[in-house]
Amino acid sequence: MHDDLLVPLSSRLDRRQFLACAGWTGLAAGALVAGPGRGRAHAQARPAYPDWIPASTSPPKRGGVLTRASSWDPPVIDPRLTQSIGLYQFAGLVGNRLVRYGFPDEVSGPADLSLKGDLAESWQSSPDFRVWTFKLRPGVKWHNVPPLNGRELVAADVKYCFEAYAKEGVQSFTFQEIEAIETPDKYTVRIHLKTPNVLFPQNVAEPITVLFSREVLEEDGDLKKRMIGTGPYILKEHSRKVKVVLQRNPDYFDKGRPYVDEYVILSTPDAATRMAAFRTGQSDIIWLASPSEVETIKKTNANAVVQSYHNTLAPFGVALAQDKPPFNDVRVRRALSMAIDRQKQVDTVFEGHGILGWGVPYIYYQDKPLTVASFGPWWQYRPAEAKKLLAEAGHPNGFETTLFYYEYFPQMTSQVQLVQQDLKRNLNINVKITKLDYTTYYGRYVESKWDGMSWGFQSGHAVGLDERTYQYMHSRSTKNFFRVNDPVIDDLTTKLRQTPSVADQRAITKKIVDREFDQVQRMWMPYDNGFVVFQPHVRNAAAGALRRTDGYGCSAVARVWLDK
Amino acid sequence: MYKYAVRRLLLAVPVLLLSSLIVFGLMRVMPGDALTALMGESGNIGERELAKIRKDLRLDLPYHEQYLLWVWQMVSFHPGDSIFTGEPIAVSLAKAIPVTLELAALAMVLGLVIAIPIGVLSATRQDSASDYVGRVVAVSGLSFPDFWLGTLVITFAAIWFHWIPAIGYVSFWESPLRNLQQFLLPAAVLGFRLSAATMRMTRSTVLEVLREDYVRTAWAKGLEGRIVVYKHALKNALIPVVTIVGGQLGVLLAGTVVVETIFALPGMGRLTVEAILFRDYPVVQTNVMLVAGTLVSLNLLVDLTYAWLDPRIRYQ
Repeated sequence: MHDDLLVPLSSRLDRRQFLACAGWTGLAAGALVAGPGRGRAHAQARPAYPDWIPASTSPPKRGGVLTRASSWDPPVIDPRLTQSIGLYQFAGLVGNRLVRYGFPDEVSGPADLSLKGDLAESWQSSPDFRVWTFKLRPGVKWHNVPPLNGRELVAADVKYCFEAYAKEGVQSFTFQEIEAIETPDKYTVRIHLKTPNVLFPQNVAEPITVLFSREVLEEDGDLKKRMIGTGPYILKEHSRKVKVVLQRNPDYFDKGRPYVDEYVILSTPDAATRMAAFRTGQSDIIWLASPSEVETIKKTNANAVVQSYHNTLAPFGVALAQDKPPFNDVRVRRALSMAIDRQKQVDTVFEGHGILGWGVPYIYYQDKPLTVASFGPWWQYRPAEAKKLLAEAGHPNGFETTLFYYEYFPQMTSQVQLVQQDLKRNLNINVKITKLDYTTYYGRYVESKWDGMSWGFQSGHAVGLDERTYQYMHSRSTKNFFRVNDPVIDDLTTKLRQTPSVADQRAITKKIVDREFDQVQRMWMPYDNGFVVFQPHVRNAAAGALRRTDGYGCSAVARVWLDK
Repeated sequence: MYKYAVRRLLLAVPVLLLSSLIVFGLMRVMPGDALTALMGESGNIGERELAKIRKDLRLDLPYHEQYLLWVWQMVSFHPGDSIFTGEPIAVSLAKAIPVTLELAALAMVLGLVIAIPIGVLSATRQDSASDYVGRVVAVSGLSFPDFWLGTLVITFAAIWFHWIPAIGYVSFWESPLRNLQQFLLPAAVLGFRLSAATMRMTRSTVLEVLREDYVRTAWAKGLEGRIVVYKHALKNALIPVVTIVGGQLGVLLAGTVVVETIFALPGMGRLTVEAILFRDYPVVQTNVMLVAGTLVSLNLLVDLTYAWLDPRIRYQ
C-alpha cells in the first residue's frame, strides 16, 4: 500500500537550504500560518509547490508513450483476490466501474469527490435507499480480443460480476451487502441491499470494483491469466517483475480518448533507481516523500512539475488492545495520547511536510485540514497531565507493554522509536518493540489475537465515506482492525448510511470523529504529505485526494496527454 | 575418477534430503502463510472462505503429507505452481534462471579479467606502488557493499551522464545490444566485489609458487619472465583460486538479490526473496533446492578441475 514511500530521507540541512531558496524566490509568500506555538519551523506552512495542477486549456494531443517506474508489482491480476496497489495501479484502466470519481480535468480541486457515471449513465435509489437502479451506457464494448471479441456490455454482465465478487475473494465484504440483483432490461441493473445505504454508489465507485468478464472466468476458472475489460486500455503485456504494457483501446466508449497510445509501467523496486529513471527521462511520473528529495530532483530536472500532495487522512496509527486491560480504560488511552509529541514527528521525521494524523478524511466534514486545537484535549502534547491521568487510572509507575509493526516505509521506524521514547520518558511505560516482516505482521494484526499495541493501519484504496466510517469502525465489521467497540459509534455510522442530506452527513461524520478523538479509539500518528513530480510534457495527471494518478486513481490516465 | 564422481553424486543425496527438510521446516515455522499475504490490507475475507482456499491449495494437509507431496513433485520434475500467482514454478524459473546466469557469468568474467592480471602484477611486483594500488582496490572491493556501490553507480550515471541502463529487462535473443547495456553496470558492480577475493588469493598463491624450487630452476635456465610466470607459476597457483571462484559462483546464483533489485532485473534473487516474503512455499523450496543442487555440482566440478590443473592429484 505504501511502498511509494520507500525512499530514504535526506539530511535536514538540505531541507533548510531548500526552504531558504524557496523563501527567496517568494514561492511561499503569504502562505505562512502560525504553528502550534512551540517555536518550531513548519515547512508545511510554506508551500513551495502548488497542491493542485489545473487541467491544461490547450487542445489535447494524441499519441506518445507514458512511462512510469513503479515500486509495485501486481501479485496477481485476478481482481477478486487482492486489493494490492500493484494491481490497482492499472486495473482501473483495463476495466471500468459503474460509477467513478471525477478526473483532474473535471474537478475543481483535489478534494472534489463528486461522482460521475462510468459504465452507468445515471443512478437513483428507492425512497428507503435499499434499492439502487443503475442505467447503463449503451454501446459499451468489451475489448476486442478473444473470447469477448468486442461484444457489448449488458446488465447481465454487471450482475454476474457483482455476484462473483460477493461469492468469494477479498472484495466480498463490499458486495455482500447486496441481497439481490435484477436486470429488467439490457441496460438496467437494479440492486437490492440488505440494509439501507445512501452511500452505496460510493462503494461501487471504489477502485477495487472494476468489472471483469464472465467468459474469461468461465473459460479459465480464474482471472489469473488474462485481464479483459471495457476500459480505455487493453492489457498488452504483463511480465512479472519487469513491466506492464497497456495499449490504447480504439473502441473505448469515451470517443477520442484516451490520448496516450501506450502506458508502460516498469517494475522498479529500488527508490534510487526510480529517481535515476525520472532524471534520465525513462519515467514520466515519480512520487517523492520529502522536500529534500524534490530539491535533489530539481537540481537535475529544473523543469519538472511538482505537485505538493496533501493527505486528507493518515493510514497509520497506534492500535491498542482496547478490549483488554489496561487499554480498555479510556483514561489510559487518553494519557498515552497526551504523552506523544506528534508535532516532533512531523518536524523531524517528515521534514515538516506532514500531517498530525487522523483517520476519517476531513473533507467529509470540514473544508480545511485539522488544526492541533481541533483534535480536542486528549491529543495535545501535555506530558504532566498525561502522567496525572495515568496515575488516576491506577498506573502511577507506568507499566510494561509491547508494540509490533512492519516497516511500510523507512520513516516509520523512527516514528515507532519516538513513540517508545515519549512513553518511557513521560509515563514510564516500557514498550518492547518487535519489527516483523509483512506477512507475519499482517497475519497477526488482522487476526486480532494480539495484546498490547500494534502500529495499525487502515486500507489505502478506499475513497468513500462508508468505507472510512462504517466499514472501519463499526464493531461488527471485519475491517474494524482497531477493535473499536462503541455503541455510540455503531449508531452514528449506521445512521450515516441512512442520511441522504450531504449537510447532515457532514454533521454526523463530525460527531463520529469527535467521538473517536474523545475516546481515543484509534490513536493516529503523523503521516507525510509527499510530492508527485511530473516531466514537463505531462498534462492532466494531477493527483486527487485519496486517489493518486500513479496509484489507485489510475483511471485518470484516460485523460492524460503528452505535450511533445 | 569416474568412481569418485559417482560416489560424490551419491553423497549428494543425503545432503539434498537434509536441505529439503530444513527448508520445508523453516518455511512452516515462519508465521503467516501465502493467503495472509495475498489478502493484502483487505481484511474482507471470512474464516470459511479462507479455509476453503487453504483446502484448494492443499495447505490444510498434515505437514508430513505436504512434504512427501512436494518431494514427489521435485523428483518427478513437476515442482507445481506458485501459491501466490498460480504460475507454474517451472515457467517462473525458466524466466528467472537465464537472467541470473547471465548476470553471474558476466560478473564472473569481469571479476576474473580484473582479478587475475592485477593479482599476478601485485605478486610479481611485490611491495611496489602497483602492488599497493592493487591491494587497495582489492580491499575496497571487499569493503563496499553491493547496495551502496549499486546505488552510487546508478545515481551518478544519471546525474553525470544523464544515462542509466534501460529499465525493463530485454532478453539477449530479443536485443543483444540492449541486453548487454542492461547487464553492464550490474555485472561490473558484482564483478568488482568478486574480483577482490580472487585478486588477493591470486597474489598470495603466485607469490608462494614463485618461491618454489621448480620456478627458481626455470629462472636459472634463463627462461623469459613472462613464460616463467604465466606458463609455469600461474597454472599451479590457480588451484586455490579455482576453489574460491567455484564457491563464488554458487554464492552468485543465490546472492544477487540486491543487485537485481537495484537494476530491476527479474532474476532468481528477486524471485526467491519475494517468495519468502509472501510465504510462497513451493517456490521457495524449489529455488532453495535448485541452489543446493547447483552448489553440490559446482563443488564436484571444482574438485574434478583440480586434476586437470595438477596432474599429481588423483582420486581414490
